[in-house]
Amino acid sequence: MLKKYLLIYFECIKISVSTAITYRLNFLLDNFIMIVSNILFPLVTLLIYGSGAEFPGWSLYEVLLIQAVFTMSTAVANIFFNGLLWATMHHVIDGSLEIVLIKPVDCLFYLIASTVDFSSTSLLIGGIIMFAVALSHVGAVTALMVLQFIVLFLAGVCVMMGISLIMAATSFKWVGNSRLPEIFNSIKYFGRYPQNIFPKAISAFTSFIIPVAMIGYFPAAALLGEADVTAFAIILPCLAFTAAGVLLFRHMVHLYEGVGG
Amino acid sequence: MMNFVLKKLKVIWAVALVTYKEWSAYRTHAMVSIFVGPVYFIVQYFIWSAVYSGKTSLNGLELSEMLKYFGVTTLIGYLTMDFADWNLQMLVRTGKFLTFAIRPIHHRFFALSQKIGHRVLGLLFEFLPCLFIFTFVFRVNLRPANYGWAVISVILAFFMNLYMNYLIGMTAFWLVQASGVRSVYLLLQSVFSGGLVPLVFFPEALQKVLLFLPFQYVSYVPAMVFIGRYTLGNISLPIPQIVGLQALAVLITALVNELVYRLSMKRFTGVGA
Amino acid sequence: MAIIDVKNLTKTYYTYRRGSGFTAVLKSFFRRERVCVNAVQDVSFQVEEGEIAGILGPNGAGKSTTIKMLTGSLYPTSGYISVMGYTPYRDRKTYVNHIGAVFGQKSQLIWDIPPIDSFHMNKAIYSIPDKEFRKTLDELTGMFGLEDVIEKPTRVLSLGERMKCEFVMAMLHRPKIVFLDEPTIGLDVIAKQRIRSFIREMNRHGVTFILTTHDLEDVEQLARKVIIINHGKKVFDDTLQNLKMNLGAKKIIRLVLTKPMAEIKLGGIKVIEKNSDFEYTLEVSLENSSINTVVKQLAEMCEFSDISIKELPMEKIITEIYENKDVQ
Repeated sequence: MLKKYLLIYFECIKISVSTAITYRLNFLLDNFIMIVSNILFPLVTLLIYGSGAEFPGWSLYEVLLIQAVFTMSTAVANIFFNGLLWATMHHVIDGSLEIVLIKPVDCLFYLIASTVDFSSTSLLIGGIIMFAVALSHVGAVTALMVLQFIVLFLAGVCVMMGISLIMAATSFKWVGNSRLPEIFNSIKYFGRYPQNIFPKAISAFTSFIIPVAMIGYFPAAALLGEADVTAFAIILPCLAFTAAGVLLFRHMVHLYEGVGG
Repeated sequence: MMNFVLKKLKVIWAVALVTYKEWSAYRTHAMVSIFVGPVYFIVQYFIWSAVYSGKTSLNGLELSEMLKYFGVTTLIGYLTMDFADWNLQMLVRTGKFLTFAIRPIHHRFFALSQKIGHRVLGLLFEFLPCLFIFTFVFRVNLRPANYGWAVISVILAFFMNLYMNYLIGMTAFWLVQASGVRSVYLLLQSVFSGGLVPLVFFPEALQKVLLFLPFQYVSYVPAMVFIGRYTLGNISLPIPQIVGLQALAVLITALVNELVYRLSMKRFTGVGA
Repeated sequence: MAIIDVKNLTKTYYTYRRGSGFTAVLKSFFRRERVCVNAVQDVSFQVEEGEIAGILGPNGAGKSTTIKMLTGSLYPTSGYISVMGYTPYRDRKTYVNHIGAVFGQKSQLIWDIPPIDSFHMNKAIYSIPDKEFRKTLDELTGMFGLEDVIEKPTRVLSLGERMKCEFVMAMLHRPKIVFLDEPTIGLDVIAKQRIRSFIREMNRHGVTFILTTHDLEDVEQLARKVIIINHGKKVFDDTLQNLKMNLGAKKIIRLVLTKPMAEIKLGGIKVIEKNSDFEYTLEVSLENSSINTVVKQLAEMCEFSDISIKELPMEKIITEIYENKDVQ
């Protein structure tokens, strides 16, 4: 069973890659746009520090570390999950979700697998480079910290997935509102900066309720030796958030099946 | 003469009305800004409050002015943004531009009328609610140093954006895949118009280059007119002068626009679409 | 009085040949092979005021190019065009005030709002006075029965309703000439009939129509004058009657036999289709004998329970013209 799903996923990746090669110019252009539009906020950080100011208690490279992690997480989510929103919207508007529902695989799995999109490869590479540079300037990193980082990073990716799912689920209701991503992206902003610049109320929200702080801040904090119990406690809300996303999406598909689009 | 003006006004009214109706079918579209705008501002608020701790001024701006800057650029955006480039490109690509070539209307004038219709919606459903939130809930002081110059500057920015976007849209007459050009332009614009961070934060050498580029006139200049002081590349200008410069920039862009329009129409009627 | 006068109209394009495959595309950055396309070659014709003229031709023949030149949105490489005394491409800004056009695939209606709002927009664009606008609007929508339809957003209307609204929109300013590019494409039979009777009715009011079409029924039901263009050249320019008589007098006879016949052989008769030994479709040439004689001969040869006699279908006539370039 698992094998079957792995095979399907692998096929989908092959298709995505060959499409990218066929439409080379578009692929390169999309990659260029993706990376440039997503590194603007670290640019602002550089400009701030370049003007002689700083986020209190944080060196330039420490802040860049947070933003590099955020970028890598964004890239991973773009590659693996973000196609889901557009595919769902497109199917709902055209009334063609039936085509997916009659396939002998799980609907959600199929939509996620078939929308793998490597246009964010450049962003991932850029993020990794930024990450390496920042990391090399922040002091010793132990194996334990790396382990903690991996766990928290994955939790952050789960949050990204949860957001994708919730966005896709709401697109069933708010049909054709192409500005949906803007709403969720604006909340993600909170995860790009050191949490101590925000009042307790906000950082509690961004840690426990919509845990966007896990996307950039907490995994980076781990590599700075500052991951405490709270950070790991937040893993729970992350998983809960993701589970909520899956349930919501499935629920909307169920409703769709009842109404026929 | 009077007849001419009246006729033009009638066209603006008709097209604007149509565009307004077209988009008010998508009111929720505009209302997203009521959420996104304030959230974005909140994030900026905490970033700059933290960055300014222990400092009164950064690159010539105080904290209150920074906050005013972000509030103002967001609000001005609701009044001056448009999709003229996208609309024109789509018309040319689908061949529908032909339906304008066979009617007695200058398409750019049509685009202007469309923008007026859209922005009236923007005024009602984006600008006013966000203005309310910024002023009364966040208690940010957004009052311009001088109302007169501020209004003029915003109107100039309205036209500047239209002419620039329309220029980009016209590349569709010349290039098959014009979307690449558009994307590059939008990226440059988003950074160098001052929407990301006040232009004085960039290295001075770059600032001197930006003095000669049209991007600043869409966001940075009107925002600084609100704050009451203009500096770029170590050059400071009094407000009347910078607004005058803005007007000149709009004029030049309009002329370039008309030139390219005529060349584009010549090409369109020579090659077909 | 000829309202349209076209002489030696020619339109030549230059396009560039890009290869497929990476090296060819790369090469094309440096040196491109110029290909000359003769879209329209030395076409001349006239259309009288108050006529309905049909322009036929296979895909890529040059019909749309010709129409675009007539509307002034494309200028010719050489030649002379005069419509209502204007030179379309030169006088475009004033000229377009007096023409209407419906392009089958390119809609003037705005998608998300009711047609009536798009109509008001054209009212402003063409400077139509209020009273006249109301009168024309009521008349046109009345002819199609669109009173309720025009208040609904365009996107909820059927293709047929949209097409009718498209016609109304194109004629609000009472143009003397209307150009139609594939106006009935994609429509169901009833919608097509409605549009055709609308065109006939408006023509009775004095409007001249030029239409390009693939639909031969459009031509049969509407056009008095038929122009056929193939490979950019005019290959036929005459009345519909003459078109039908063009391939010599021919008829199609279908027979259903009571006694099977292995074959039917008769001078001047060609078997087009044989479904079985009982069903035959014959093409009969009447150059040398009358239909009376042929039917008598057939009655002697075979016993049939059903016989139908029809004219040569338009398709066949047109196809033959498409294939022989010099039939006049």
